[in-house]
Amino acid sequence: MKLTKQQWNIIKLVALAVLVLGAIAAFMFIGVNFEKPKLVQFAMKLRAPKLIAMLVGAFAIGAASIVFQSIINNRIVTPCLLGMNSLYTLIHTLIFFALGSGSIFAANDNIAYVIDLIVMTVVATFIYGYLFKKTNYNVLYVLLIGTVLSSLFGSIQSSMIFVMDPNEYDILLETLVASFDNINTEIIVFSIVVLAAVAFFLRKDLKLLDVITLGKEQAINLGVDYDRVVRRLLIGVTLCIAVATAMIGPISFLGLIIANLGRQFLKTYRHSQLIIGSGLIGMLALVGSQCLVERVFNYSVPVSVFITIGGGVYFLWLLLRGKRGSI
Amino acid sequence: MNVKELIKKYDGKAVVDSVSFEIQKGKVTSLIGPNGAGKSTVMGMISRLVAKDAGIISFEDKDLSEWKSRELAKRLAILTQHNNVQMKLTVKELVAFGRFPYSGSRLTAEDNAIIAKAIDYMELGEFEDRYIDELSGGQRQRAYIAMVIAQDTEYILLDEPTNNLDIYHATNMMKIVRRLCDELGKTVILVLHEINYAAFYSDYICAFVDGKVAKYGTVNEVMNKETLSKIYNVDFQIMEIDGKPLSIYY
Repeated sequence: MKLTKQQWNIIKLVALAVLVLGAIAAFMFIGVNFEKPKLVQFAMKLRAPKLIAMLVGAFAIGAASIVFQSIINNRIVTPCLLGMNSLYTLIHTLIFFALGSGSIFAANDNIAYVIDLIVMTVVATFIYGYLFKKTNYNVLYVLLIGTVLSSLFGSIQSSMIFVMDPNEYDILLETLVASFDNINTEIIVFSIVVLAAVAFFLRKDLKLLDVITLGKEQAINLGVDYDRVVRRLLIGVTLCIAVATAMIGPISFLGLIIANLGRQFLKTYRHSQLIIGSGLIGMLALVGSQCLVERVFNYSVPVSVFITIGGGVYFLWLLLRGKRGSI
Repeated sequence: MNVKELIKKYDGKAVVDSVSFEIQKGKVTSLIGPNGAGKSTVMGMISRLVAKDAGIISFEDKDLSEWKSRELAKRLAILTQHNNVQMKLTVKELVAFGRFPYSGSRLTAEDNAIIAKAIDYMELGEFEDRYIDELSGGQRQRAYIAMVIAQDTEYILLDEPTNNLDIYHATNMMKIVRRLCDELGKTVILVLHEINYAAFYSDYICAFVDGKVAKYGTVNEVMNKETLSKIYNVDFQIMEIDGKPLSIYY
């Protein structure tokens, strides 16, 4: 019997899910001393929150990237191009600069997280909402302005670093690199609640994504209230990225890699499959590389190094592949 | 469809200036005129892709802006030239999007029958599993027309459908337009650059100059030396072939 593309893709997704489960098992159980129940319990307590944070973060980034790319109608953009990562870096530096590393806003993880989330969402929604309205939803302009904002935030941040106490900078740097080591349960629960709310409020808009990829004119022709749907989806993308970044720090290339791998792997226009596929690939990439970091490299290299190196090479390959219509 | 006093301004300058006309049901109407005459803008407004600044576009006794977008999508289809799909999409999947206003993304047996019929009608059977980006320009155009047919609307609006097509494909395109009207009973409105296509394949012609309707009438009423020379500012000769007026310009 010949399988249809749909059935094939479902098989592919199941295979991916199995791989993810394998990676989860490897991450959770390798190097655990199973003879002493106390030790097992301790290891689980250490590893479980990290694992969940990675899974949630990867899924949020994957979904947000796919949605963003489909709206922009371009496969080599990621929401990072809007300057979300630089915004995160700027907020953190600003807090350290103004209040010092000892202040409750920097030292308390929960408070730092909530500040990140609120400031990023409000600023991003305000700036990008305004930009989209002002430019009449011309995404090229918004991307251009996003890139400029990105450098602006970066410059402000680096000028603050120059006058900063080196010890403070040392502590600051730690929060600016993606890591899963200082995540607590409250943050995870809160993140999941926010993401679930986003998914719930956008469930109808997400179904329209398949049509939106046909382009603005076709989407309107087929009866989609284009401007409204795109506006709602972009706010959703902003929230997803804000949650993921506030939770695990900035990982610039992750979204680009997993969204493109997802598209290449599934070769479909159906966003239900694309979102799930990219989310699963993201989980595999994050959990897999964290596994390497912890068990092979003994924590000597942070996970973002893998992602950035792998992502950079992949990004170049995407650009240089030079196939017609691939970008 | 009845258009009254339609106005569109860009930066204070009226691109479309109190345009009024009525589209005849079940006929092919071509909008012609020189570059910048506003015909594409008018097309954009009557297909709700471009917001109007003033005027009334009454469609089945209700202004276009009062229609629910989804309901309108079942009655009026527009095909523009901006069809760059970045997705891996097969012909069949593209045509299936025509059923979106009716069934969303869950297709019923009836939808599938209509999709198959549309593919058949456009003779795309052998390509139906090919990806859109692997097709030639003419084939892709036909795939989009098949999608519009699957959308099953009474009105079909085509913005410069012969653009970027060679003579063979452009002529085929116009024959398809004729068939859409004669065989399927559609009301077709199209923007055309090539006036002889407009003369040969449409029933009515609406000519625009400087954002205003210069002449609106049957093909024979518009296709005469004086009118055309006035519209295009070029010398014309009119000949008759197969009982239809054709123009020669130089």
